[in-house]
Amino acid sequence: MISVKNLAKEYLVDETATKALRGISFDIDEGEFVAVMGPSGSGKSTLLHILSFLDRPTVGSYTFLGKSIQDLSDQELAHIRNQEMGFIFQAFNLLSRSSVYQNVEIPLLYSDLPVRERRPRILSAVASVGLSEKLGTEAGRLSGGQKQRVAIARALVNEPAIVFADEPTGNLDSESGGEVMEIFEKLHNQGRTIVLVTHETYTSEFARRLIRLKDGLIEVDEPIVKRHRHLNGEKLFK
Amino acid sequence: MKFQDVAKTSVEALKRNKTRSILTMLGIIIGIASVILLMSLGQSAQNLILNQVQGTGSNLIFVIPGGTDKGSRFSSPASVQGIVIKTLIQDDLDALKREPTIAKASAEVRGQAKIVYQNNDSTVTFDGTNADFFSIRNFTIARGAAFTDSDLNSFNRVAVLGSEISKTLFGELDPIGKTIRLKDVSFRVVGVLDAKGLGPFGIDQDNLVLVPITVAQRQMLGINYFNVITVEASDAYTIDFTKARIISVLRQDHRITDPHKDDFTIRTQEDALALLGNITSIMKLFLISIACISLIVGGIGIMNIMLVSVVERTREIGLRKAVGATNNDILQQFLFEAVMLTFAGGVIGIVIGSGLSVLAYVVLSKLVSTGWTLSLPISAVILAAGVSSLIGLVFGIYPARKAAIANPIDSLRYE
Repeated sequence: MISVKNLAKEYLVDETATKALRGISFDIDEGEFVAVMGPSGSGKSTLLHILSFLDRPTVGSYTFLGKSIQDLSDQELAHIRNQEMGFIFQAFNLLSRSSVYQNVEIPLLYSDLPVRERRPRILSAVASVGLSEKLGTEAGRLSGGQKQRVAIARALVNEPAIVFADEPTGNLDSESGGEVMEIFEKLHNQGRTIVLVTHETYTSEFARRLIRLKDGLIEVDEPIVKRHRHLNGEKLFK
Repeated sequence: MKFQDVAKTSVEALKRNKTRSILTMLGIIIGIASVILLMSLGQSAQNLILNQVQGTGSNLIFVIPGGTDKGSRFSSPASVQGIVIKTLIQDDLDALKREPTIAKASAEVRGQAKIVYQNNDSTVTFDGTNADFFSIRNFTIARGAAFTDSDLNSFNRVAVLGSEISKTLFGELDPIGKTIRLKDVSFRVVGVLDAKGLGPFGIDQDNLVLVPITVAQRQMLGINYFNVITVEASDAYTIDFTKARIISVLRQDHRITDPHKDDFTIRTQEDALALLGNITSIMKLFLISIACISLIVGGIGIMNIMLVSVVERTREIGLRKAVGATNNDILQQFLFEAVMLTFAGGVIGIVIGSGLSVLAYVVLSKLVSTGWTLSLPISAVILAAGVSSLIGLVFGIYPARKAAIANPIDSLRYE
């Protein structure tokens, strides 16, 4: 699904070139659950932005579902983001004065899905995160955990091939964090490809593969063997 | 992104900030209401003035002493500029009356004088004229009768009073047969005119005193020339021909061979209408220009608020881009919001402006003048709606573009 070769990204900060990624290579297959970890400044956010088509690499190649990022226009990238990718952010990024329904609907506004097919999709996505009874509630009135669940529903509504999650439990208490990770676990079990960026070891342990970055290079790329699948989210986060 | 989704998203965004949306619209509401009100007032004033010119009679041609700049339809003859020119005399009037396409012709001399009846007095404009003047200029008699050609020939000192001056001097008394003094000459009142209101160029026709021209020339002014000759063509189709004939007759009588040295000027009602139309159009334009300033201020208000909105909604812009919105989608959304604000403001402004126009009509028709009509030009309404939307487009494009080109990564990180 994802193939990255010698990927590098250089930024100009105050006219000084800063190398965020220094030439990394890896593949991600369909159905994988990958945790990207690393200390601050290691390049994990830059990697996520490039993988999710929000940014382009300075050098190297990135192929997603057989399409190379170099060959695609900004409009085509936007279309693929809409159709094939789901996004979950640490800060939820919900429209707080809009309802749960309206928030989950946002990606559909930019899709080709006929209007009459939107409602069943939204209802199904909201049901999958257990918030059917909150459909008309303003997002701002929800708890942190509920907000992140709405964000997950929004990420899933277009039935994407891959879900990118950037520190999804960073703003949540342990209980809510556990509930959110349970949902990720469930999504993975359903065959969804997930790329999770986190600095929390216990969150990463829900994944099956770990890519650890350091100074823009891959320090570790290995399966996660020590896992706590027997623990529920609550116990794990405690 | 489908148009209905652009509209839906924009309306939802505006509804999320109702108070701000309404306050933002206020500038446009005031601007559009002002444009509607001032266009309505301007149009009503134009109608009033043009109706007054048309009300002076029909198929009229005015012969004014003194030449003008031939290149201009609107330049004033010397006599209008206060220079005494004595070129139009009784022989000219007699010659014109012989023309077959001239139905009637009357001459006028004009002056101002004190009018006295017992202890009442006033200063009025008097017109020395002949009997045809009444029918040519649509002056109708309310009481008594107009003077006749025999009054002119016999130098009878008789006067016809305007309705207002009659009331000023006589109150409820019947003025017919009473003697007044005008410029120290005694006149017997033979008639009172119907109320006619303001004439062209603001002459108060109800305070006018009409006397035989022969008396005015010899006994009041000591002159033998005319200030103006008014000719009524037999019908509308002969006006141009009649005008040409007047020029020919007067040049012959005045022995003028060089057309550039004409000592008279011909003006038709059409010229007067065109001149007044020009003046009132400029007046309207001036009024609308003032109103447009408030529209521009309103537009800048829209731009200001939209810029604030773009900054406030930076994360929303980042999110929309992350989930698939293109720059064009974002541009459309913010532009549509600006246009929605100004269009809605425009519609409310049209309603308020129309209401104020009706109110102004009610007040002005009672206080200022009879003949004031309500004009609410549909062109003004369409223009206002169009202009308000255009303002949204013009002043919304910069904030919308700013939102559209925002970097999604920076936007998502914005605190």
